[in-house]
Amino acid sequence: MQAVLQNTSRYLSGGRSGHLIVIGLLVVMFIVGAVLSDRFATSNNLLNVYEQSAGLAFVSLGQTLTILTGGIDLSVGSIISLVAMLTSGLINGNPAMVLPVVLFVLVLGTLIGVMNGAAVVVTGVHPLIVTLGTGAIVQGVALLYGLGPTGKVPLNFDTFAYGRIAGKISIGATIAIALFLLVWFILRYTRSGRYVYAVGDDPHAARLMALPHKRVLIGVYAASGFFAALTAVYLVSRFGVGQPYTGANYTLASITPVVVGGTMLAGGRGGVIGTLLGVYLVSLLNNVLNFMDVSSHFQLVVQGLVIILAVSVYVEKRRVA
Amino acid sequence: MLSLQGISKGFPGVQALTDMQLEVRQGEIHALIGENGAGKSTLTRVVAGVHQPDTGSIDFDGALVSWSGPGDAKRHGIHVIYQEFVLFPHLSVAENIFIGHERRNRLGLIDHRRTRSDARNLLDKFGIDVDPTTLVRDLSVADQQMVEIAKALVHDVKLLILDEPTAVISGPEVTVLFERLRALRNAGVAILYISHRLEEIFDLCDRVTVLKDGKYVATRMIASVERDELISLMVGRSLSELFPKRNTQSADSPVVLEVRNLSIPGRVHNASITLRRGEITGLAGMVGAGRSELAFAIFGAMRSSGGQIFVDGREIHDMTPRRAIAEGIGLVTEDRKGQGLAMNLNIAANMTASTLSQFTRFGLIDFAREFKVAKQEIESYRIACRGPSTSVSLMSGGNQQKVIVARWARTSTKVLILDEPTRGVDVGAKIEIYRIMQELADQGIAILMISSELPEIIGMSERVIVMREGVITGELTRDEITEETVIELATRRYAS
Repeated sequence: MQAVLQNTSRYLSGGRSGHLIVIGLLVVMFIVGAVLSDRFATSNNLLNVYEQSAGLAFVSLGQTLTILTGGIDLSVGSIISLVAMLTSGLINGNPAMVLPVVLFVLVLGTLIGVMNGAAVVVTGVHPLIVTLGTGAIVQGVALLYGLGPTGKVPLNFDTFAYGRIAGKISIGATIAIALFLLVWFILRYTRSGRYVYAVGDDPHAARLMALPHKRVLIGVYAASGFFAALTAVYLVSRFGVGQPYTGANYTLASITPVVVGGTMLAGGRGGVIGTLLGVYLVSLLNNVLNFMDVSSHFQLVVQGLVIILAVSVYVEKRRVA
Repeated sequence: MLSLQGISKGFPGVQALTDMQLEVRQGEIHALIGENGAGKSTLTRVVAGVHQPDTGSIDFDGALVSWSGPGDAKRHGIHVIYQEFVLFPHLSVAENIFIGHERRNRLGLIDHRRTRSDARNLLDKFGIDVDPTTLVRDLSVADQQMVEIAKALVHDVKLLILDEPTAVISGPEVTVLFERLRALRNAGVAILYISHRLEEIFDLCDRVTVLKDGKYVATRMIASVERDELISLMVGRSLSELFPKRNTQSADSPVVLEVRNLSIPGRVHNASITLRRGEITGLAGMVGAGRSELAFAIFGAMRSSGGQIFVDGREIHDMTPRRAIAEGIGLVTEDRKGQGLAMNLNIAANMTASTLSQFTRFGLIDFAREFKVAKQEIESYRIACRGPSTSVSLMSGGNQQKVIVARWARTSTKVLILDEPTRGVDVGAKIEIYRIMQELADQGIAILMISSELPEIIGMSERVIVMREGVITGELTRDEITEETVIELATRRYAS
């Protein structure tokens, strides 16, 4: 029984310490918020936090997969910017274009991811460098497309970001949860999912065991590109237009929930449920900072601190002989 | 089961195998021996489909084969257990056993329950006592090895290849491993067993094939071959030439290092030793007897309580490694990678690491001079490499060891302590290291050699100090040193 529990908690959490740290932090954050403002612990505010978590959730979901394989995707911010520009630019107010354009940009994001993965596999260059490079390329293309807000979308395009089930539960954030559960299921119950962990745990062993490590790597970067594009569509839905720097802060932002959620940068350990909790923690933190009336620039400072703290908490302490 | 004919394989700059032959029969344990660099690993990789041979034919299970890759060989029943395990530390034992062959249900999804129960059955069947839900990283090395073997048994394994399986395990674990291997042999599996420990081969194997310099030398029945013959086949020299000729004029030469009543709480109790100029002193005892700790304390790298250390009759208070080096004392540690060498630097940089100040001008390193000196050392120590700029990580254990000794010999003008200097190196490199030790002793350096190998202690030492559980139990002079006397002291229970 204990072994079963241990095994289950490992899969849910990725680490022995489990999600207890994140859950504990969520509770602390909640108490701090409630003390700071009596408007914080209202269902209205919490439903808003939930709603706003969606944009970060998609891109972090993809980032979790790359980090699980021991890699990282630093091009997601640029992908979001380019895809956001193209979404509003190509739709350009025409309702008939919504469906084809959204499908097109999601495929485009996926293809950029496939190129990332292929470059990693073929060149053997560390993904950090590969995606930093493609990120610069994609950002350049976004700026070539337009230097400011480009195009527009029909009014009802905001349903993805602002639509609510029964007038309460955000549609976008609920889709995010569904996608997290889907990816969790794939990681847990499919061979591809198992190989994501294996490749991240020991790439050399994965090669010697003749596991399809190339396919796995291309797959996770493709997924990362897809989910970045989904975040871009969400942001256009939310702001009504795409700008060349829409995704600027999202590269760092997408990593924070992953590491806060207990996924190891070294790969092979962690999981998406931790990331989802991490997304909520970051969203709650930003909400609390809003109540404290600090500038959004300060939120960036806090986020930098959180990511360093998180990694230092989870970093494996060297065994003392 | 397996038959190789005329296999050759070259890599850029090296001809690894030339006209190699090998035959392994069903239901036998076949030993493959040879010095490092003899081509054992390359041969293994050719058989396992990692490398494709340039010429020659592989016959496996009655058919001429040509593997397209490791997966291909595996599908046909060849399984290799490498020295470095191919395991995923953060997956469970069960998940590791079935990696690549996941147990799935009708929907094609992973069946976790069946993965666990199948793993448990498999482990039980071969008497491997490991919980399938444990993470592999939480297992002992011996258990990890058992998981590797269990992994092979998932498939219909016909040929199991083990590359130096006992390099990472000890004593009782080896016995268990051998039992399992014999059981597999009796079940009809062909086993190719690579090792350089002759004792094991005599204990376990049925036949043996010797390689040297990438070429086939001979195949013998274990029952009808002598240990000395195998050694001479491997090194092309006879056993009596293993140890260098000794010059025994050092018995009354002056004492350079004296340790009086030195203790390390919990490790070493009241140890007193003397080392003489130009003398090789063996420090024998079981693993854990406190020998390495004593060496560390003499070198100032471990805190000692009480006791005195004299160098040339002067007492040195508060010994530190820096002080020890300044006094001409050197310590070659047991763990090369951990404490001795910067693996990614080249030979020259490693050799001059402790004397770098001699090679700098205006704070800049004089590479020309560094390389010149490194070249001389490479020659005098006969280090096999392409030149001073060879990266240490690419060299064999024996050659790495020579680089370390060369470095320490540059600063150790009085005393050089070597902790298990020939561990993990092949016979040829051992001979070289023995020769170097003797040469250093002839130059007047006092050598303290810690070793767990009795032949080495007996063959090299002028005098032997024996420790047991932190206490020096005795000292033997040249004529008194025999296997029996050393073992007696190393295991003696003294009156309490």
